[in-house]
Amino acid sequence: MSWSWLIILLATYPWLFAADLMSDWTAPWGINVFISGAAIVLPCSRLRRWQAVLFSGCVGFLFEARRPIPDGILALALVAAAIFLTSNKPLLRSAPRLLRASLIVNLAAITLWFSAVALTLGQLSFRNLGDFLPQLLLQLIASALVTLILFWPLSLSQIAALDYINAPLANETP
Amino acid sequence: MDKNRQGAKASYVAFFAFVAIWIMSPSFVRMGTREAFVEFQAPALHLVAKGRDLARFWELKSKSAEELAAASRDLARINAALELKVRTLEDIRQENIRLRELARYAAPREFLTIVARVASRDSTSWWHRIVLRKGRSDGVRPGCPVVFSDRVIGKVSLVHLNTCEVDLVTSPNFRCTAYLEGDEQGRIVLVSGLPANSLGTARARIAVIPMDYLPSAGQSSKVVTTGMGGVFPAGLIIGTLDANIRTTQEGNFKEGTLQPSRNLFSLQEVSVLVPIHPAAGEILLEKRYEDFQ
Repeated sequence: MSWSWLIILLATYPWLFAADLMSDWTAPWGINVFISGAAIVLPCSRLRRWQAVLFSGCVGFLFEARRPIPDGILALALVAAAIFLTSNKPLLRSAPRLLRASLIVNLAAITLWFSAVALTLGQLSFRNLGDFLPQLLLQLIASALVTLILFWPLSLSQIAALDYINAPLANETP
Repeated sequence: MDKNRQGAKASYVAFFAFVAIWIMSPSFVRMGTREAFVEFQAPALHLVAKGRDLARFWELKSKSAEELAAASRDLARINAALELKVRTLEDIRQENIRLRELARYAAPREFLTIVARVASRDSTSWWHRIVLRKGRSDGVRPGCPVVFSDRVIGKVSLVHLNTCEVDLVTSPNFRCTAYLEGDEQGRIVLVSGLPANSLGTARARIAVIPMDYLPSAGQSSKVVTTGMGGVFPAGLIIGTLDANIRTTQEGNFKEGTLQPSRNLFSLQEVSVLVPIHPAAGEILLEKRYEDFQ
């Protein structure tokens, strides 16, 4: 059980990598395919808290590694989300709830890193808000669409990995 | 349930403590974490890029013998023309060396060319980057210029063991000095990347254009590197100046938009120019990196 977070991470990594490859394809249009937020929700419903925290931190760092995002912003945000989700497992009991949570976490995470980079570059101010908001909206729409498309295949692979390690179903242990 | 609530409270406290430690931690801790996750992903990146190369190889292999014969005939002609040009340039080079010695003029920086395949591209409004399949083990260093033929593509921003990241000309982190074609006084302008609108074309800004500069009518002026600052060799094409030049708010200079010389996201292969003798700044950077390791 102690390495289950690593097994789930290895099962999730191909999807994160596929998202990176899709980002490569959408690069000429300046759109980044982001699913890291959605990827942590289902494991949070079945892993123990500390395992979910380790898993979410690694997912965040994997996204940040090749991007000029302020160090740890996304990883720490996903860790905070993991603590919240593992403390409120009844929120993740059914598939529609999981999908809703995936969308919310993914959109919140993308808003956070997008704003953090804009702030670092000095592009987030009242004067630039007219330029910034449409960009953010476009990223959010793209990210929501990708989450909706990839939610089922991503969940199936994660459920298979969770079943393999015999992780208990949601609402049993925090 | 109470146990769960207590556990959650303890987790939040531990989380905030960790955030505080993370913020206060020295930069090598954060750099080390980032580097570890980059190296974890490197094999997958190499595998996919090599798969792409293999697909291209089989695509080329499926060409007919006639097509290959025609391509090799064209290449032979280009080679003959280039050989002639190389001989002419060799004479000019010798004369250049002799004159520099006579004038005791400092020799320009010499570069070693490392050809690198593009592994992946990444872009948002805030960055435009490509990842190359050459890294520290191949001799690539941070700050090295990246070119395609005689065109500037960008500058190496981060170097890992077998990969490196390149900030493209249009990336907001990119800066360099340039000359404008048609400005006979050779005054320097500043090129810097611009945050781009998604779905729009990525561009860069050209600032400090002299008020009396007038671009040639009917054609876009080329923007070329100055060779100052010790990063890019002189005379490389960065792009072209768009026709709509405007006066700045202060009214003392003009500024315009730079159209990159190539579609930067369609590149498959580029050249990294590594200075044979590192500049003082680079030596300092390397020393810092060695200290970190």
